[in-house]
Amino acid sequence: MLDHCSISHKGGVVLWSRSFTPAASHTAASSTSPVNSLVRESLIEGRSSDGKYEKDGYAVKWTFVNDLELIFVVAYQRILQLTYVDELLLALRTLFIKLFKPFLASFVASLHVTGSAKLSSSAAPSASWNFRKAFEGWDGVFDKLLRGLEDKAAQERRTRVAHPARAVIDVTPPVEDTSTIPSQSNAEVQDEEQIARNVQALKNRLRGRGGQASRRGRGRTDVGSGRDSLPASDSETPTSKRKSRAKVQRKWGEAAPTENDMASLDYSYDSSVSDGPASSLDLSALVDNGSLGTRTQDGLYEVKDWEFGSQSDKNADDVIAQVLKKGGQDAKPASGSLGALGSIFSRLTGSKVLTEEDLKPVLEAMKQHLMKKNVAKEIADKVCDDVGQSLVGKKVGGFQSTTSAVRQALSNSITRILTPKTSTDLLLSIRTKLSTPVAASQKRLPYSITFVGVNGVGKSTNLSKVCFWLIQNGFRVLIAACDTFRSGAVEQLRVHVRNLGMLGVDGATNSKGRVELYERGYGKDAAGIAREAIAYGRDNDFDVVLIDTAGRMQDNEPLMRALAKLVATNNPDKIIFVGEALVGNEAVDQLTKFDRALRDFSAASGGQERGIDGMLVTKWDTVDDKVGAALSMTYVTGQPIIFVGCGQTYTDLRQLRVANVVQAILSD
Amino acid sequence: MDAASPTPEVLSPAAVFTPQLQVVAALVFAVVLVIISVFLARRKSTQRGDAVILAGCSDAGKTAILSTLVYKQTLPTHASMQTNAALMALPQAHKTLRLIDVPGHPRIRDQFREYLPHAKAVAFVVDSSTISRNGAAVAEHLHMIMNALTSLPPSRGAPSLTIVAHKCDLLKPTATATAEQLAINRVRTILERELEKRRASHANDVGVESMGAEDSDSQLGGLECTGKGEFKFAEWEGGEVGFIGTAVSVGKHAVVSADEKHSEGDGLAPLREWLEDLP
Repeated sequence: MLDHCSISHKGGVVLWSRSFTPAASHTAASSTSPVNSLVRESLIEGRSSDGKYEKDGYAVKWTFVNDLELIFVVAYQRILQLTYVDELLLALRTLFIKLFKPFLASFVASLHVTGSAKLSSSAAPSASWNFRKAFEGWDGVFDKLLRGLEDKAAQERRTRVAHPARAVIDVTPPVEDTSTIPSQSNAEVQDEEQIARNVQALKNRLRGRGGQASRRGRGRTDVGSGRDSLPASDSETPTSKRKSRAKVQRKWGEAAPTENDMASLDYSYDSSVSDGPASSLDLSALVDNGSLGTRTQDGLYEVKDWEFGSQSDKNADDVIAQVLKKGGQDAKPASGSLGALGSIFSRLTGSKVLTEEDLKPVLEAMKQHLMKKNVAKEIADKVCDDVGQSLVGKKVGGFQSTTSAVRQALSNSITRILTPKTSTDLLLSIRTKLSTPVAASQKRLPYSITFVGVNGVGKSTNLSKVCFWLIQNGFRVLIAACDTFRSGAVEQLRVHVRNLGMLGVDGATNSKGRVELYERGYGKDAAGIAREAIAYGRDNDFDVVLIDTAGRMQDNEPLMRALAKLVATNNPDKIIFVGEALVGNEAVDQLTKFDRALRDFSAASGGQERGIDGMLVTKWDTVDDKVGAALSMTYVTGQPIIFVGCGQTYTDLRQLRVANVVQAILSD
Repeated sequence: MDAASPTPEVLSPAAVFTPQLQVVAALVFAVVLVIISVFLARRKSTQRGDAVILAGCSDAGKTAILSTLVYKQTLPTHASMQTNAALMALPQAHKTLRLIDVPGHPRIRDQFREYLPHAKAVAFVVDSSTISRNGAAVAEHLHMIMNALTSLPPSRGAPSLTIVAHKCDLLKPTATATAEQLAINRVRTILERELEKRRASHANDVGVESMGAEDSDSQLGGLECTGKGEFKFAEWEGGEVGFIGTAVSVGKHAVVSADEKHSEGDGLAPLREWLEDLP
């Protein structure tokens, strides 16, 4: 039922992974895999506080181990409501760490070499890394764990389906269906024999005969199909394996159960003699080899495979039990010795592990601090949760207090959020567009920028500042007065154009002809005016068209529709959202609704989906160091702040300096 | 008897430190001081530049290269969330080298700046199979790095820059050129074109910041050439730019030797050679 499961280091190295469906194993190595997009779009951008991420029909859940810098990720089809995923993640985390802690610790240490002091001494162990061997046996443990949880979930669902009202049955898929989904999607790319085999298995089950056995058989198939994507797997190609298995499979339908019994007796006896329960990890490896050998034999293959499964079950059982027992023993003395004295001592000697309780008051204080700096409450919560998640379990060294550790992490997190992920170089993108060759029959279109926002934030004023800057860079600019609603809007722009026309450019006395206003009076359709303006700009060799729109509240649906229509018909190169730095909690609402409305309505009217491309924050000079709005805005959209407006004159336009903003937000 | 003999042994300091001896002692002292200071300076300078930074956009293959070089096997990877720094052994040169793999995600790629003072070389990894599609983004990243390299204080030598055209196994070799040459040529042409665009655009721009009367050095420089005309890597003022074509068999499902069939014939051989030759 799962699609993909992986264990990886935060630095990007995948330690172990398995895909359960061909589709998932196909994408697993590429950059579009669910894990990759999770890291890129959620974890790095600091949006991970929800604990869930959805992409391409997959739902992805994950958990961290911060001291070993590991990420455990599970991806499954979003339509399946798997109840056991959280439990699985926790169990995986505990088991994996208990089993492989020494190896993992040295692995992580090898990725954090700070100096070159002991080059020669530490170089020696690096020659002997063998990841395949290190994680040997984990496959068996994982299988066992997963099967246990799946069975449990199936049981629960069965009881739930049996007892309550009929309606529930319609909503929740029956147990049989969900458990066959992986094997069916396997069959799509596998050969026809495989399909036949699945049908056979299904029939068997429907007849109610040997249901348990066929279930196990399927479990092994899933494993086989996923084997190919992990470093700790056998090197045989999956297709040949499948074929051989499929061949023997058809015969097996006729095979007598007595043979089955005999074989099972034989091999359980064999392996119990050869391997002691103590070396359980090696044991499963040996069994693995045995199963490889028997694959060439005829007829008995499936039986042995089944046997192998139960064998490794037993081993996995042992391992799980051992680890859990050990875990219990470990935990007790540790908690006993950690008295007040112990914690002081451990702090003095250097390492202290951060716990949730340690972090809670500090994070709460940070949250308050952020809100004082005008960060929207929702955003402050999310950012702090995210920081907390990344810190739990981490060791803080020396005399570094919890507060300073949190502060450092918060500063990193804010920097990451504010740093643009797309280019903010407007001039370059204008020049690129203007210099791209067009067909001889057409004239090149001017670069168009639309300014949107709520009422009174300063759209027209800052549009004129941007216009001034563009004129300084030698572009010819056309301003389209598409605010056909507010009285005086067109006149305001006319005054700006007159002023800009009289201001000198590069020492020249006037820049007439460099800037013009395209106006059609009031009450007209804004989208139409914008289209005419772009056409006029194209015919008259303008380089840039700046489109000024009427301010509107984000809840006013008719007006938002009109705006989306303007965007859809004209397809501007940049849509800039203008917001004021004074905004507090409202920032989130404004931006999400503008973005949403633009996307929904522009997609609905046939064009491609367009959202906000960047932001312009105005009235920056009025907020002193309470610059939280910048953080709120970038967090909500993920788009960069292109300009900051900070005064009354044409030159009062700035670019955002991330370091300064971070400093201002964190300063007391 | 010998009652008088101790008296000559109590020598006055003036008698022992004759002028010649004083001069010699002073000279010896001075020489020792010089030697110590030279030694310290030498050590400091070697400490300063012992690392090689692997930079480049996301999905270029930096972590895969790191794992191949350090662990001698190509592990599958996903986008990195944090920097990896690992030691690799150079058997031929009998030394080890610190490799620093900086994440390529735009939001955290700035981290390379904090490692730059420790670097003796920067390897900019480019995915040569997708360079024609996202040339502009790659050029932006490279521009940042070149700017950082040229704006280092001149007191110490800037790290050398090498562009690694990675994943060249995805290109089809033609009759006249191997895949590596093809990849190198393609990467060089596209990056030169994109960087020239950036340079031309920045050459006569008025930055947003410089409209006010305040500090006006927000421009991203670092693309200056000695020659006139278009940007060429060969004429870049920041130093010589090397090109290497490499490939690793990532995603080939751990086929790459867990056992040490040592890696002379693999796709990273040019990179290894380059690392060996680093001063």
